[in-house]
Amino acid sequence: MIFPGPSGLLAATGGETGKELVALGAALLVAGLLARAGRRIGLPTIPLFMAAGILTGPYTPGPVLVRDPVDLGLLTTLGLILLLFHLGLEFSLDDLLAGGRKLLLAGAAYLVINLSAGAAIGASMGWGGREALVIAGIVGISSSAIVTKLVIELRRLANPETGLLLGIVVVEDVFLAIYLAVLQPVLGEAEGIGEAVASVAKGVVFLLVLVAVARWGRGPVGRLLGSGDDELLTVCFVGLAVLIAGVAANVGVSDAIGAFLAGQVVAGTAVAHRVERLVLPLRDLFAAMFFFAFGLSVDPGALTSVAGPVLAAVTLTAIGCIVAGVIAARIQGLGPYAAANIGLTVIARGEFSLILASLAVAAGLDGRLGPFTAGYVLVLAIAGPLAASRSHLFARRLPARLFPSPAISGKDVP
Amino acid sequence: MSDQIHEQELPGIGRRYSVQADGAEVSVVIHHSGRRDVYLSDPTGHMPPSVATLSDDQARRLGAVLAGAYFQPTLTRHIEAVVGGLLIDWVTVADDSPGAGRTIADLQVRRQTRMTIVAILRGEQVVVVPEPTEVLEAGDRVVVVGRPEDLDGFVRHVAG
Repeated sequence: MIFPGPSGLLAATGGETGKELVALGAALLVAGLLARAGRRIGLPTIPLFMAAGILTGPYTPGPVLVRDPVDLGLLTTLGLILLLFHLGLEFSLDDLLAGGRKLLLAGAAYLVINLSAGAAIGASMGWGGREALVIAGIVGISSSAIVTKLVIELRRLANPETGLLLGIVVVEDVFLAIYLAVLQPVLGEAEGIGEAVASVAKGVVFLLVLVAVARWGRGPVGRLLGSGDDELLTVCFVGLAVLIAGVAANVGVSDAIGAFLAGQVVAGTAVAHRVERLVLPLRDLFAAMFFFAFGLSVDPGALTSVAGPVLAAVTLTAIGCIVAGVIAARIQGLGPYAAANIGLTVIARGEFSLILASLAVAAGLDGRLGPFTAGYVLVLAIAGPLAASRSHLFARRLPARLFPSPAISGKDVP
Repeated sequence: MSDQIHEQELPGIGRRYSVQADGAEVSVVIHHSGRRDVYLSDPTGHMPPSVATLSDDQARRLGAVLAGAYFQPTLTRHIEAVVGGLLIDWVTVADDSPGAGRTIADLQVRRQTRMTIVAILRGEQVVVVPEPTEVLEAGDRVVVVGRPEDLDGFVRHVAG
């Protein structure tokens, strides 16, 4: 028996590898340069990474860098896992509880309005019940990444409404975690009630174990990962995140929720702050590939065929977010400027909508979810930040009678 | 006017500390990344706030300045460490100081101040364990070792 050995392996894949590397490198470079151009005019990166995928994909004229998004399969899954791992790492229930009743109220109002809007659009499209449930999430949940970046770049961190605005995004993140857990059994192809119950039970047990580890297992997990060395820590925490996500996928809970809980587990340990710093470049790189690959799968022709639903969803989202912004500002006793800032910032859609759509399409739901979400995110991820930066113009148009409280700005709050 | 500092968590970003001063609000945002933003609101409320972004290191220095711990006439302290009863400190020799232009032997540093000069930083040049014949120059940063209570005497005798 002759083993090929490492050199044999290289020889066997040499030609193909070269082509794949050229394609991958060029793809990342195109995505990066496009996003850099967008940065100049204040656009977030997510829609431009996706646009790069669409432009260099198989459905548009010009060079095709990657013919099939499946070629990037494992890399894009890593992007999804790292996005949710980072979310789980940053997420803290204490932040939510510290905000108090006003924050919970504002967050709940936001969620009820926007999820119902999403569900209404989903139902009216007639693609099916499971599709409607997914669309509710796609339309209902803001992009934490874009919102956080916007607040920093628009220099609104000292504004009176900013705590509330970021709090609403945290409420959305909590909802997302629960929603992902509930969604998976719905997406899964269980045959019959018995199997469905068994699959839900298996998933719930697994989730409970992870939640328990996150709560009480800090010591052992910290020791498992704990290393003074950044290199070793990086290798270990990525291994842990991918392992938990993989086990989660195997027992029928999604890899996404597994990665989120892996983040929660690490968040409780002593190395959490270092992991937060180390995960960022990895997340940025692989998430970019995830957005790029999503763009690859989008046929611009299909985009025009879902233009109607996209337009309806964008309109309803805009209305829903502005109404939620006015409610939040009123709860906090703030005026029209705060309302406009909240409403026009949380309007941004991005990574979560794309994650939900990719999970749904992977589970074999209606393929139109892909182009629908791509169009929806492209519009709102670009229009949202542009609107947010001009929110003062919009605030002047909000009728004053919406704000019975005399407080116009935070200065009036005692 | 209240001198209360108002503290608020900014989820996903960091913490905000604000204080009312002179009709305006000064807010400091400490990002998880270590970046610091200083916001100064417009007292009239009509203009957007002024913002400055500081690195972690700049913020620490500015903080020391605000606390009155950074700047002292003729004496710039960069690092001060007290280990057990032993002090290690850096002192800059001022232009008009008694030590500028004189040798260590001349100054009788050890006898007069009970402190020892262990190194001199002169621009890019480093003199480790200088000979007694070494001439101190204005602008030299000297590293001294001794007891904390003798530092003031050293500064008077040599640096300022």
